[in-house]
Amino acid sequence: MLVTMVEQDSLTLTEDEAALYDRQIRLWGLDAQKRLRAAKVLLVGIGGLGAEVAKNIVLSGIKSLTILDHQQVTEAARCSQFLIDHTAHLGHNRALSSLERTQLLNPMVSVSADAADVADKPDDFFRSFDVICATCCSEQQLLRINDLCRANGSLFFAGDVFGYYGYMFADLNQHEFAEEVQQKVKAVADAGDGDGEPAAKRSKHSATETVTVKKTMTFTHLKDALTIDWTAEGMAKKAKKTPDTYFITRVLMEFCKVHKRAPRVSSLESDKEALTKLRHSLLTALAVDESLVPQDFVNFCFAELSPVCAVVGGVLGQEIIKAVSQRDAPHNNFFFYNGVNGSGMVDLLC
Amino acid sequence: MAASINGVLEQTLQKSINSCKLLVVGAGGIGCELIKNLVLTGFHDVELIDLDTIDVSNLNRQFLFRKEHVGKSKAEVAKESALKFNPNANIVAYHDSIMGPEYGVDFFKRFALVMNALDNRAARNHVNRMCLAADIPLIESGTAGYLGQVTVIKKGLTECYECQPKPTQKSFPGCTIRNTPSEPIHCIVWAKHLFNQLFGEDDPDQDVSPDTEDPEAAGDAGEVALQSEAKESVAGGVARKSTRMWAQQSGYEPEKIFNKMFRDDIRYLLSMENLWKKRKAPLPLEWNNLPNTAQDGDHSAQLGGIRDQRVWSICECASVFAESLKLCKDQLMNSGDCGTLVWDKDDEPALNFVTSAANLRAHIFHIPLKSKFDVKSMAGNIIPAIATTNAIIAGLLVMEGLKILSGNIDKCKTVYLNRQPNPRKKLLVPCVLDKPNPKCYVCSEKPEVTVRLNTTTMTVHTLEEKIIKGSLGMVAPDVEIDDGKGTILISSEEGETEGNMGKILSEFGIRNGSRLKCDDFLQVYNLNINILHVEKLKEDKEFEVIGDIAELQAQASADNTGPDTNSQEDDDDDDDLIMEDEPTEITTPSRKRKANGASDADLSTKKLKRSIDANCQEDEDIVVL
Repeated sequence: MLVTMVEQDSLTLTEDEAALYDRQIRLWGLDAQKRLRAAKVLLVGIGGLGAEVAKNIVLSGIKSLTILDHQQVTEAARCSQFLIDHTAHLGHNRALSSLERTQLLNPMVSVSADAADVADKPDDFFRSFDVICATCCSEQQLLRINDLCRANGSLFFAGDVFGYYGYMFADLNQHEFAEEVQQKVKAVADAGDGDGEPAAKRSKHSATETVTVKKTMTFTHLKDALTIDWTAEGMAKKAKKTPDTYFITRVLMEFCKVHKRAPRVSSLESDKEALTKLRHSLLTALAVDESLVPQDFVNFCFAELSPVCAVVGGVLGQEIIKAVSQRDAPHNNFFFYNGVNGSGMVDLLC
Repeated sequence: MAASINGVLEQTLQKSINSCKLLVVGAGGIGCELIKNLVLTGFHDVELIDLDTIDVSNLNRQFLFRKEHVGKSKAEVAKESALKFNPNANIVAYHDSIMGPEYGVDFFKRFALVMNALDNRAARNHVNRMCLAADIPLIESGTAGYLGQVTVIKKGLTECYECQPKPTQKSFPGCTIRNTPSEPIHCIVWAKHLFNQLFGEDDPDQDVSPDTEDPEAAGDAGEVALQSEAKESVAGGVARKSTRMWAQQSGYEPEKIFNKMFRDDIRYLLSMENLWKKRKAPLPLEWNNLPNTAQDGDHSAQLGGIRDQRVWSICECASVFAESLKLCKDQLMNSGDCGTLVWDKDDEPALNFVTSAANLRAHIFHIPLKSKFDVKSMAGNIIPAIATTNAIIAGLLVMEGLKILSGNIDKCKTVYLNRQPNPRKKLLVPCVLDKPNPKCYVCSEKPEVTVRLNTTTMTVHTLEEKIIKGSLGMVAPDVEIDDGKGTILISSEEGETEGNMGKILSEFGIRNGSRLKCDDFLQVYNLNINILHVEKLKEDKEFEVIGDIAELQAQASADNTGPDTNSQEDDDDDDDLIMEDEPTEITTPSRKRKANGASDADLSTKKLKRSIDANCQEDEDIVVL
């Protein structure tokens, strides 16, 4: 393009933007919208969950989205990856194949795609982003990107969906945010003062008012959540109260580490067998009760189910919006969704 | 598509997804997300209905639509966009109202499952009744900002949508609006009423002139009113003529209307001295002598803001008032002899008129002024909406659907999406579905309801429009008096009972204890209404619907013992029932004008459509007097 878009005045929103974002500005306010339109986001991995996240944050009006993914479009992507034209792109790169539809979601956001492998990207590459959201990554890459985000002062998110199960993780380091809280207001003592409205006529005011307060929240690194010592005192009890999706996810991450891929339907039976074995070996290694992961989880963890991606991607997308706009208390540090029993929990694990 | 790949879903579920037919009602915020999820999960036989067209303010979340689609049918465009996810899917789109007579019980019976992605109570009530009549499971959904809810309704197994009374819309006493406003919303309601008086359909409940019957003003007002009746120019005398007629005669001259509304009527209010003994008295405004309220800070406040977020000065309000008044008058003239305008938050002149008039009145009563942006929210009852909440709720909708199709409807739950996790860490809170309410006036064996009203003042028209259609949710009722003679009060056949409409209920012998038998053929729904005659209801209400007599009696005894009879109602606990997703947007087409003349369209359809309009108009109003 010859004429690049003139750097928009960061102070003012155009009337076009005001019209497009009207319904959300009425919810989170103009300041939040201005912070969003300054945010540069890197999305690593664009499977079903990645597509949901991309949709949600591009619609919200961030400044730019870079999609980084070296994987190819597979048959299983048809279960949830709606940003790809599946009739044309089987076997093509996922990032490049998703570019056109992602851009169409919101012409005001600058969207780009990169077909490189995240493992090949030098550390410097990650410096230019305000937010990095990593999906479909190996544990090693997740930990590396988390390190880099801490070093660069950017916001780190991770997430994945396996069949009916999904999670989201956030490390916002030291995060400052504004929160609206209800404060009690002193009731008007007698009817003699005030506006003179007789009690029967006065519309019933609640005895609280909303004030905005500034708060800080401290997050931990992903490695702290993956190296919990479950043998420590009181931890057996905590394990029981931890959402089962945490342990299910750990088994699936272990599978990905061992097999260098997620479970897939083309090797359904052998993958199920391998998962059952890993359930036993991993939970034994973690020294937690094996029953924390239901035995039949292997029947529900293949491909990415679209409605599950929608739930996890909705929560993850909203957490990115929250963190960028520095409004409202973020979920610290995990959200787990279990589509088999319907539970959706936030838990702090470190 | 998950269901076309072996190993992703259980076999029985895979089979039912591949073979079942679904109905999705609503292609808005939740609908767009829902259709995407359904097609990707592998549903390939889906019918989709929505009567709305695409607006630019939809595009921040209704991702199946783009700028070039603005003005087109939501259902049609959603279908085209969803086909790109699976070109082999069989999607049927209807750009129509689900409340139309062509979507009867037989239409509903063709589906294994109905999913609601609606934004208004009238359509939800109707689909609820259709699914009960057809005995088809219904999954209901709603979002408001960060909050959302999904629930499952199955005849005989769960509560229906109408088993529990819904909180009614907040309303304000007439005298607060007409005489003693104390909050911005009071002025906004008054300004909307003024719009309707000048340009809309006549509604005696929306009088904008001083209320001389204000009990608080007793003593002086009556006397002054009597005196003023002689002098035509004074408020009391003018009001008798109807604001509309007076405005027409004065040619909608801005200065005249301004001085009547903001000077003469205020002076009249000042003469009701009792009102101002404890209140700060209002200050009348004069067209030719407006105060200069422009502040130096205005321009810096505007910096970085949205144009509409700036609060206007009084001089600006007056000039916008004059300008929008003229534009609305032109619209009215163009709509023909008996035409009327319907207030629409998206119509610039209409919104400008209400913003300026509300602020002028607010200034008079020393109430803080509001920006056009805020007035639009309050007057248009805009419920903010975002993509993420809709995505989550649409995901949960499908998850409940999968349980039903797996034969596990007993495992379905009501799921709430909260803003923050509860103390038990739950962000999504599943709750057990309640059993049907045996006294529900919709889904019980013999539906029955009691209505309190004044039989000597209420017209048959009000009974039909506000109670039977508006509150009790029927679309084309036949009403018979259970008087042994079978007197027909209201017929759904156009013209048959037209002559009854203006008559008072007591003219038909309806009195305390009378019973009305209502029948809605489309909804396959019969309801008996017991009438309780009362002279006057609290806060100027015209009527009150009561679930059953036992409830009424319990309430009556509580009223007798309790020190504060008002404390039970109207408290601000509207958090637990949120089933509204952008209430203005699905059933309100961009039809602004209702010409009462020419009608060669199918009469019964037209009548029906009008009643739908009336319903959604109520949804749109933040307050109904």
